Amino acid sequence: MSTSTSSVASQPVVFSTRTQYPLPSQKFMIPTSWKRYQLSQLINKALSLEKPVPFDFLVKGELLHTTLNQWCSDNGVGEEETLEIEYIESIMPPQKMSDFPHEDWVSSVSCQIQGHFLTASYDGQIRAFDYSKNLVSTTMAHTAPITSLCVVSSDESTHTVASSSQDLTAQITQIHLDASTSSKVLASLHLHTSTVSSISSNNAGTNLLTSSWDGLIGFWDTNIPAADEVPEPVLNERDRKKRRRIENSTSTRRKVPLLVLKSHIGRVSKALFAREDGKAASCGFDSTVRLWNTEYGVCEHTISAAEKPFLDLALTPDGHSALAVSTDRTMTLFDLRASPTHLAAAAASFAHAATPSCVVVCETNSHQAVTGAYDGVVRVWDVRSTKGAVATFRAWEGKQKVLSVDWRRGIVGVGGEGGLEVWKVGEEVA
Amino acid sequence: MPAKDLAGRKSTKRKQIDAEEIQSAELQSNGVLEMLSDEEEDGDASSDDGHVDEFPEIVNESSSEDSDYDEDDEDEDEEDTEDTEDENANESGADSDDSLHVFPKAKTIISRITKQPKTVYPEIEPNYDSDSSTEDTPNRVGDVPMHWYDDLPHIGYDINGKQVLRPARGDELDKFLATVDDSSAWTSAFDKNTQSDKPLTAEELDIIRRLYTNENPDAGYDPYEPTTEWFTGKGKEEIMPLSGALQPKRRWVPSKWEKQKVMKIVRAIRQGRILPSKPKTTSTSKFDAYAIWSEPSSSVVPPLPAPKPALPTNAESYNPPEEYLPTEEERKAWEALDPEDRERNYLPQKYSTLRLVPAYDRFIKERFFRQLDLYLAPRVQRVKLNIDPNSLIPKLPSPSSLKPFPTYKSLQFSHSNGRARCISVSPDGEWVISGDEGGVVSLWEIMVGREVKRWQFEGKIGALAWCPRSDVSYFAVGLEDKIHLVTPPNVDPAVLSLTQTVLAPTTLPTAPATPSTVKWTTPASATWSIDTPLLTMDLPASSSVPSHFCWHRKGDYLASVSTGGAQSNVWIHQISRRHSQSPFKKIKGAVQSVLFHPLKPHFFVATQQYVRIYNLSEQQLVKTLIPGIKWISSMDVHPSGDHLIVGGYDRKLCWFDLELSEKPYKVLRYHSRAIRSLQFHPAYPLFASSSDDGSIQIFHSRVYNDLMTDPLIVPLKILRGHQITDGLGVLQVKWCSKHPWLVSSGADGSVAVWCS
Repeated sequence: MSTSTSSVASQPVVFSTRTQYPLPSQKFMIPTSWKRYQLSQLINKALSLEKPVPFDFLVKGELLHTTLNQWCSDNGVGEEETLEIEYIESIMPPQKMSDFPHEDWVSSVSCQIQGHFLTASYDGQIRAFDYSKNLVSTTMAHTAPITSLCVVSSDESTHTVASSSQDLTAQITQIHLDASTSSKVLASLHLHTSTVSSISSNNAGTNLLTSSWDGLIGFWDTNIPAADEVPEPVLNERDRKKRRRIENSTSTRRKVPLLVLKSHIGRVSKALFAREDGKAASCGFDSTVRLWNTEYGVCEHTISAAEKPFLDLALTPDGHSALAVSTDRTMTLFDLRASPTHLAAAAASFAHAATPSCVVVCETNSHQAVTGAYDGVVRVWDVRSTKGAVATFRAWEGKQKVLSVDWRRGIVGVGGEGGLEVWKVGEEVA
Repeated sequence: MPAKDLAGRKSTKRKQIDAEEIQSAELQSNGVLEMLSDEEEDGDASSDDGHVDEFPEIVNESSSEDSDYDEDDEDEDEEDTEDTEDENANESGADSDDSLHVFPKAKTIISRITKQPKTVYPEIEPNYDSDSSTEDTPNRVGDVPMHWYDDLPHIGYDINGKQVLRPARGDELDKFLATVDDSSAWTSAFDKNTQSDKPLTAEELDIIRRLYTNENPDAGYDPYEPTTEWFTGKGKEEIMPLSGALQPKRRWVPSKWEKQKVMKIVRAIRQGRILPSKPKTTSTSKFDAYAIWSEPSSSVVPPLPAPKPALPTNAESYNPPEEYLPTEEERKAWEALDPEDRERNYLPQKYSTLRLVPAYDRFIKERFFRQLDLYLAPRVQRVKLNIDPNSLIPKLPSPSSLKPFPTYKSLQFSHSNGRARCISVSPDGEWVISGDEGGVVSLWEIMVGREVKRWQFEGKIGALAWCPRSDVSYFAVGLEDKIHLVTPPNVDPAVLSLTQTVLAPTTLPTAPATPSTVKWTTPASATWSIDTPLLTMDLPASSSVPSHFCWHRKGDYLASVSTGGAQSNVWIHQISRRHSQSPFKKIKGAVQSVLFHPLKPHFFVATQQYVRIYNLSEQQLVKTLIPGIKWISSMDVHPSGDHLIVGGYDRKLCWFDLELSEKPYKVLRYHSRAIRSLQFHPAYPLFASSSDDGSIQIFHSRVYNDLMTDPLIVPLKILRGHQITDGLGVLQVKWCSKHPWLVSSGADGSVAVWCS
């Protein structure tokens, strides 16, 4: 390689990767007129892959869009310097698959059930769609807007879904996706005195976490008790009438939490389970990300950021890092493996053009994440490329706010002001 | 003076002179003896005669010496040695001419007869040696040009007719060696007659030196000898008349003309025209002499020269280079400009020859302007202050160091019908209510912007205010003639029941002694719904839409201001007693805004031009602030209670330190249109002002507990994004209590949330 003709200007390059396609460490002389495509071909040939894998190339944390020559001249790198180029599997340009208009804003979307999308809307309904855009089921879960939704457990056609609402409660609802039987609200979770902002379940579907604007996080099990665990509140005459009307229609059990996690000052915006058992993470408007031990209900670590009211949090599947979006228009990457004294330092920060409202991490690749923002732009990030998003696309022509994203099996569901949109992003993993 | 005395003295003097001649010379200058000077001069002349008489003696002496030549030669040699000694002395002693005697030395001696000093020259000895013509010169060719003998071996003939051979002359090297070896070589000169170098005598050298220094060649000549006064001086007056003629009569008759002149002066003195004993002033002389350089130059600058007209440039040439000629567009642009705005008052034009240049049509005008320039140009030299303009800018911290503050518009909520006049943020900072002129009040989340609840009222919404209590949850809505108190949906049951008991207690409080004109009504509990207000206050019919609400911090008192009403438009409503009172019977001017002091029982009332502070507990006026604003639009008090900001429709924003004067501490004029709304952030050191120019300005306002430190006000950010509709911009701004977020409502019906 190093004996290439001197007529073509070339640059010494060392390739590195964190993917499953490593090259032997060796210095290459790359013609500076090469772009991403040639480099990708080079690696494919060097590895002699059977099925070609497209790669993207990161030079000093920046995605290579131009020729090497152009990049070097823009960044003032001389011809003699050895460039370290990291390559990552490239993400195919996102493609829009379908959209599902809603009457009201969609506050939460879930793609967890294969073949279906679940949406929670501000009109208090949980809707289920199949891939052929049919509205399979509609459940009137709350009288107030639903803020969050998660799938607790799934059977053939019966799914248990938990939802949180602005009516200060969360609910566990059984949804039947075959239209014959109607859905049923199994239990309501009573703890919070303010809007419940998020709900999430662990992988086994045995526990739930709720976070609320009153600064509390509830830790619940999903067993449906035989009787109400909370007495009916003392009501005056007017409320009692109303309540009786509701009670007649449903047989909802009132549940109390197993534990109350209390450490946040102010609004908690998201609480979710970590991959390992007995751990949880939460973020709030007090600019902290807190790591919890749910067995004892104590806060193990607190990551304090300066003036970053966090809106959403996502943990990578390998459990090493957390991504949190905040109202100062950044997504911040925190390395959870670091020692507690160094936890406060953000590993990387990713700037947005508008308030990012939601974040989700790819379930197979710990380096990829998707954020939705109030400018209607959904950005696909690779955390190794800090300078800019790997790919962006606009939902609803970029005029309406994105409030929720979910990314499963190569499909990104985007919920927001305009309803639900489904985009194909990345590899579809069977 | 008696003559005998004089004679006696004279005789004694003479004896003394004999003893010491010098003393007599001194005494001669004494004035006592000068009466007899004439006689002495006569005597002096006689002594000269006596000297002449002595002459034969000298002759005899000389004749006696005449016989012996050798002695004479010796004498001459002696004299020469003396002379050389003298000359040496002269060379060493620099300059006394008298000591140098190249010529026969003149001696000043005292005459024996007249006792006066006289100059005596040595006698000239009239023998053969004394005459140079008798010298034996070997060459007797006479005064012929010596170059006749240039080719010959001899240089002439001696007295015997024999050839005088040319002396041997050395070459130039010998001459040089001679100058080195012989010290007298450089004082010798070439004698043509003998064709050899002859050393110059000391006399000749002295003549040369004198000529060289522009002096008289005669060494004995004294150009500065004292003048002899023959007829002037004391004792030498002509006292005897020159003629014997009689003196004319006028010599002893008093002069008539002199008398007339004197009388004229006397009359003038009597009439006071002349002051005889006038003190002589020193400044009578026309010019005071002074040393020019003695004192340093004064600070008065010299007069300025007249301004010079600018020199003509290439463009003003009759035949300028092509690049100076204007293009057609430049010409048009130049003509389109007003004459005052033009960069230069001519257009370059090209003529092929100077002959074709027409008469200068602007001549008169230009002369006139030049005269105007000269006339109007200030000739006062301004003392130019060398101040770096950057140093005048106060040192403010950079805005990036004062984060957080709102920087961008996070989301926007729109009212479809009409201007969004009023907004209010809930005390926990989660919810926003906004009201528009169509009677719609919307409740929405501050972070998502989704409308959760909407109330429709009849008439314009003038003001909204959320009750600051944290244990209850309701807000006041100001409509025409009515104030509604409404509860939001989805509140905690405990909070809701407490709110209901506060607003609609089962047992109404006892009616106050003085019934108010405001009616408080609560609908029956059966008809309560989330859409209807729990409590309604009916204001008197003549009052108009409440434009401003202010809650007391404890949430029991609500002050409302309705502008445009006929009378008494300030009300303070007490929720717990269900009673409204109008604190002011009569107020000068229309009240614009009211405020409760955050800590003290003080009440701020802003009329159009003044802000008055009342003590509510003592029922008296505490202070009147004069902002200097023509029409106050809004005000807000700092959470510490010591500072007040007042904004006006004339674009001014005044900052008052209430501890200090009644005049503003600082007047800020940053907005280009009327200021509509102001608010301090309750927790962060920030305040915001909104204006009709469609912008919101964020200021950092740090207040120190230290009384000596002035508040720090730093402009941080201008937020733009609201459209100006019908000349109205941003109508109200409110802060979110827990975060540095700002909510603003605009005349375009949009309500925006600005996040940090």
